[in-house]
Amino acid sequence: MERLQRVAVIVSLVEKLNSKGSWSGETHVQKTMYFLQELLRVSLEYDFILYKHGPYSFDLSDDITAMRADTLLKLDPQPPYGPRIVLGEESEQVKRRFPKTIAQYNAETSFVAERLGPMRVVELERVATALYVTRELGESADCESRARRVRELKPHISLEQACDALRQVDTFIEGARTLHAAHQNVSAHA
Amino acid sequence: MPKHFHEIRDPIHVFIRLDTDERSVLDSRPFQRLRYVHQLALTYLVYPGATHRRFEHSLGVMELAGRVFDIVTARDNVDSAMRDLLPTDDALRYWRRVLRMAALCHDIGHLPFSHAGEELLPEGWTHERLTSENIRSDEMQNIWTALSPPLRADDIVKLAVGPKVLRSVSFSDWETVLAEIIVGNAFGVDRMDYLLRDSYHAGVMYGRFDHFRLIDTLRILPPGEDGDRTPMLGIEQGGLQSAEALLLARYFMFAQLYFHPVRRIYDIHLRDYLRAWLHAGQYSINLTDHLSLTDNDVLFAIQRAARDSALPEHDPARRIVERDHFRLLYERNPIDIRTNIDAARAVYKAACDTFPESLVRYDSVVQRNVPIDFPVLTSDGRIVSSLDLSDTLNNVPVAKADYVFIAPEHRDTAKRWLETNRDTIIAPKEEVE
Repeated sequence: MERLQRVAVIVSLVEKLNSKGSWSGETHVQKTMYFLQELLRVSLEYDFILYKHGPYSFDLSDDITAMRADTLLKLDPQPPYGPRIVLGEESEQVKRRFPKTIAQYNAETSFVAERLGPMRVVELERVATALYVTRELGESADCESRARRVRELKPHISLEQACDALRQVDTFIEGARTLHAAHQNVSAHA
Repeated sequence: MPKHFHEIRDPIHVFIRLDTDERSVLDSRPFQRLRYVHQLALTYLVYPGATHRRFEHSLGVMELAGRVFDIVTARDNVDSAMRDLLPTDDALRYWRRVLRMAALCHDIGHLPFSHAGEELLPEGWTHERLTSENIRSDEMQNIWTALSPPLRADDIVKLAVGPKVLRSVSFSDWETVLAEIIVGNAFGVDRMDYLLRDSYHAGVMYGRFDHFRLIDTLRILPPGEDGDRTPMLGIEQGGLQSAEALLLARYFMFAQLYFHPVRRIYDIHLRDYLRAWLHAGQYSINLTDHLSLTDNDVLFAIQRAARDSALPEHDPARRIVERDHFRLLYERNPIDIRTNIDAARAVYKAACDTFPESLVRYDSVVQRNVPIDFPVLTSDGRIVSSLDLSDTLNNVPVAKADYVFIAPEHRDTAKRWLETNRDTIIAPKEEVE
């Protein structure tokens, strides 16, 4: 995906997070982009590593900063929770220029915005780490071994919280499969 | 046996103090090599005073790292929620030594002219990776094991380059905070030192801020968002203005000095030169080769190539030596951005279609890691986001520059061409399938 197309996907995602009433902090953008790439296979080409709040991409962080420089995004303080990321004045330009890219990934961006948008940072950390572990150990790995691995990586997450997060991720994986199948049906009929 | 202490005069920190163990690192070949690596590449061709080297910067980073460590681990300064993070006294002493050694060594992997030619390393290599290799080398390992108590090279590497570089290595919360003291986005002492030092040597005032006050107010705090408890460096409320000054200093230094167009085009000519001069157009990652190559060797070769038109690297060498660098044809501006956020790239593509492509260059650079959101301990004991307390931080801009350069012999023609065709060139194109 070209840089400006990736920018268009981020703009579309932030707009949806904002409209769903999400707090839309950087952690929300980071984690929803992680799910977009790793669960929904949107080819964003970011390198995510396990960092303070779970999977994190420094390249994505740089892109968000660059988008602020271009006034595509801006920060909106929300005391006492830190800033929201909202659309900047030039975001309309990107929406006008890349309608096809935005439409192509519309279902995927809606999927992650609806499911992850309302979550708090601590919940995002759990589900994103749960997906990270599920991808690491494979979807066939049982919930208990995945939960143990989540606890190894993030000892402050309790076993119960890890299991809950993994169950959510399993539901998301099912949802992603359904979405993927729907896409294939549309392609087959096109 | 008591250790001897040494003092080195420094224009920024007045005295830099180091013990005999640290002196053994200073005397090592990888560290001494930094005497011959300019901190700001060829910036001295624009700002003549900017001839300082990685050597003194690394000493400064060690000095500041020690100061920050002492402040944030002082019992009275440790937040009650963070008490468990600190190790026992012996371990604390061990980590202080590791931190200062890591600060001292954090740049020993730098290539000639620092960042300017870094993209000529093989895929997957960076100067931080070379730093890690140097710290683990036999030569340095002999130093670490001879110390009493010995230091673990892997611990030094972790703090010298941090989790952002060592992506597959897990860091404890304590190690993450210590690495943040050196390479952290908000209050890393690497940044503090280079802003103060670059500003001083370049003769621009923008990089100055009250680092004494800032360091005194640094604390290890949990971030104040959403109940999360991951520790990180923050400040007491009394240091907020000095933190604002640091972040504004950084913005001004990027906008005025680091992104100066003539400095940027010299970097490009230097890269063109190195690409033609280095074997297979790449730096060697062999440590012996790395240690034997400094700015001095490259400058000598540039002078020779500038005089010999038969050499393939002659043209960029001559442009550097004779100051016949490419000239600025177009730069990013807010008016064109409103029409097309990619206006500079559009100008570059059109210029390449009109003039010989080899005589046109495009450069796009943005200030990275702009941390304005960090935890602040308020005077009534709450921990809140810096953005809730500071309008200034909410409005710190991000420095960005896009440039199109053209060879001097085409500059006047190209300027006229751009004036005539500007609106057509920057008009946004429709998305294709």
